[in-house]
Amino acid sequence: MSGALAHIVDDDEAIRDALAWLFETRGVACRGWPSGEAFLDEWKPEWRGCIVLDIRMGGMSGLACFDALRQKGCQLPIIFLTGHGDVPMAVSAIKNGAFDFVEKPFNDNDLVDIVVNALEADARSQLIKATRENVLQQLAQLTTREREVMDQILAGKFNKVIADELSISMRTVEVHRARVFEKMGVRSAVELAQQLSSTGLMPGQIED
Amino acid sequence: MNRKAPGRPLGSGWRWRLPYLMLGLFLVAIAALVWLIREYDEEDQRTALIGDVLWMEQNLRFHLEKGAELLAQLGPGLLDEPQPSAAAQAQMQRLLQPDNPVVQVIWMDSAGRIRGALPMIGENRRIGETEDATPAASLFRLAKVSGRPVFGPAYQVLGDDAYFEVYVPHYRAGEFAGVIVAVQSLRELVSREVPWWFSEKYRVSISDPTGQEIVSKSKAAILAHGLEYTIPLDPPGRGLVLKITAYRGEVRWVPILLGASILLLAAGIMWSVWRLRLHVVRRQEAEHALHEAYAFRRAMEDSLLTGLRARDMDGRMIYVNPAFCRMVGYSESELLGRKPPMPYWDPDDLERTQALHEYILSSASAGGTGVEVRLRRRNGERLDAMVFEAPLIDAHGHQTGWMGSVLDITEQKRIETMARQQEERLHATSRLITMGEMASTLAHELNQPLAAIASYNTGCMNRLSNDQANKEELLMILGKLGKQAQRAGQIIRRVHDFVRRSEPKVEQVDLNQLVTEAIGLVEPDSRKRNIRIAFISAAGPADAQIDPVMIEQVLVNLIRNGMDAMRDISLELRRLTISVGRRDNGVEVTVRDRGRGIAPETAERLFEPFFTTKTEGMGMGLNICRSIIESHRGTLRFEAAPDGGTVFRFWIPASES
Repeated sequence: MSGALAHIVDDDEAIRDALAWLFETRGVACRGWPSGEAFLDEWKPEWRGCIVLDIRMGGMSGLACFDALRQKGCQLPIIFLTGHGDVPMAVSAIKNGAFDFVEKPFNDNDLVDIVVNALEADARSQLIKATRENVLQQLAQLTTREREVMDQILAGKFNKVIADELSISMRTVEVHRARVFEKMGVRSAVELAQQLSSTGLMPGQIED
Repeated sequence: MNRKAPGRPLGSGWRWRLPYLMLGLFLVAIAALVWLIREYDEEDQRTALIGDVLWMEQNLRFHLEKGAELLAQLGPGLLDEPQPSAAAQAQMQRLLQPDNPVVQVIWMDSAGRIRGALPMIGENRRIGETEDATPAASLFRLAKVSGRPVFGPAYQVLGDDAYFEVYVPHYRAGEFAGVIVAVQSLRELVSREVPWWFSEKYRVSISDPTGQEIVSKSKAAILAHGLEYTIPLDPPGRGLVLKITAYRGEVRWVPILLGASILLLAAGIMWSVWRLRLHVVRRQEAEHALHEAYAFRRAMEDSLLTGLRARDMDGRMIYVNPAFCRMVGYSESELLGRKPPMPYWDPDDLERTQALHEYILSSASAGGTGVEVRLRRRNGERLDAMVFEAPLIDAHGHQTGWMGSVLDITEQKRIETMARQQEERLHATSRLITMGEMASTLAHELNQPLAAIASYNTGCMNRLSNDQANKEELLMILGKLGKQAQRAGQIIRRVHDFVRRSEPKVEQVDLNQLVTEAIGLVEPDSRKRNIRIAFISAAGPADAQIDPVMIEQVLVNLIRNGMDAMRDISLELRRLTISVGRRDNGVEVTVRDRGRGIAPETAERLFEPFFTTKTEGMGMGLNICRSIIESHRGTLRFEAAPDGGTVFRFWIPASES
């Protein structure tokens, strides 16, 4: 986790160099790759950041590289650099999940903005992923009964109703409730619901 | 050969039997007539015969009675005198002349005694007693009693003769005084009393009561079936029978000849009817064969896919076959008798068709090569046809009109056109692809350094605006930036070098010639689009030092542009005028269309590369044209024509300066 990098994949050294300079002037860390093959060889799943990928390259084309990365499970945002007449290709790439595309010659700070957005998006998705894992861990600590009680709380029911439905005493419900809040690290039912929904783990979403 | 249709009678049989039947009936009628005439004839002959016989009998009787009278006159001279008187003697001598049938006269007294005889009674002649005395005595008595002449029976005597006697009593003062007997020869009687013409016709014979023929007068033997008649000869009779037999009359040639000629004629008629029938049969066969041949030809003409039409010398339609009717969509009755202009001529192509038509009619012998004509079907469809004309010669060798076969080549033309369009489209597409690839490559190549320059530039600006500028860093970056700018320049130079490689190959060319060739190239297209191209050539040669291939390309391009500009205007206005002329020590060519003209905003960008107003255009045409003209040190300009449309004109110096 050495931090996010903007990976520039382009067979033209001048472009790589120029973009690297440009990104540096905007404080974006980057690394250049002379071909799609070179990047694929080195790629590690834990790498964070984004990929700026030239569509037209000698050797492996940008689109082929994009497909290969997705196949390997790389979820990094990918921004395509396109030349004259390549726009339809780029559009279809967007439909297949690319982050964005920029037509050459580009307005360079716009490109940097897109890259920054991509980096943020990656970081955000990284954060969501981390939180989600944390919540899942907390959920795993709950007993079956506590889980049942939590579901009822999330459904917005009062303790009395929960007690009736689960055929347990009001007192027992209150104990379970306190244990759930403690284990999930929250102080109220509202906070609990927020935490679960932000990580996509609300009951009903869990099955997804 | 044998085209005789089975089951097809050559005239029904009875019709042919009828003449024979009629002829047969006719012959029967003729035969009946002949037979009847013969019958009548025989009846006539028989009547004549009977008449003759009666006459003959009468004649004989008269003669005998006359003879008896003569004898009676002798009586006084012979019996009243003791000696015959001289007068009686003389009379007797007359009677006894050889041509008289009387052979002897005997006179007897009343007692029956012979007083005398002349000639004297010989041994062989015994009157009344020579053969049969009794009858003589009885005759004598009979004569004495009756007082009238009595004829005795005939009797044979020697010498193939028969005599008979006539007893004539003589009375003297009322008292029987004797009898005068005349012995007469039957033969003599017959030969004397039967006239020659009678014996020519008939055989006369006398028979005794037993049927024995006693005497006859005949010339020839008689046929058994000859016509005959018998009548009793009485008084000399005593049972004598006079028989007359007609000789066969002279052959009656007229009826025979008539009958024979009728038979002959009938045979002739039969023969001629038979010949006629034979002729009719042959004729029918020939007609049948002709009919079949005609039907065959008709079927052939009807099943032809080639249209046939014939016209007389005035161009009037006299024959069309179904294929032609189908082709043009008019019925036969609508076309026959029509004079040009024909209803199926294309109104848009009327002048040409008319000219062609007149050319064919005026030329002595068209034919051989076909002429392509554009026609129009009734439903308005265009029809491209190939027409082959040939003179129509009648049986006497005179030309009576024109025979034309018409081939529908619409489909063929359509396919040709389609193939050409396909080829053009393919060509255009491939050119487009090539140009597109080239442009795309060029764009990509140029984009690379430009993108890099932009990035360096933006980076520098970022640094400067953040006040983080580091002089050395910026210098290094600006150096890289400059390198990229040079790289872009190199790419441009490479393209330029590429273009320069295709320098024009100049030669001396007459532009009049070149324009004519260019028009030839676009002619099929112009005809298809109904555009007339007029060419006004320079008075003399319009020579210039040019690359003919390139300039021709320019011409074709300008002409095609002009034709495209007239795509939407009406047919009669579609006219393109090309002129060549000398100007300013050079040659100027103008291409003028009657299109809608060029809008001002379009005019500004007309020579820009990749600018086009056509859906299929590349936008390179005029640009390249100008490049070519400029490479010849000429100029290409355009202006609006005074009466609508646009004029493109290019000028090229006459020779290398």
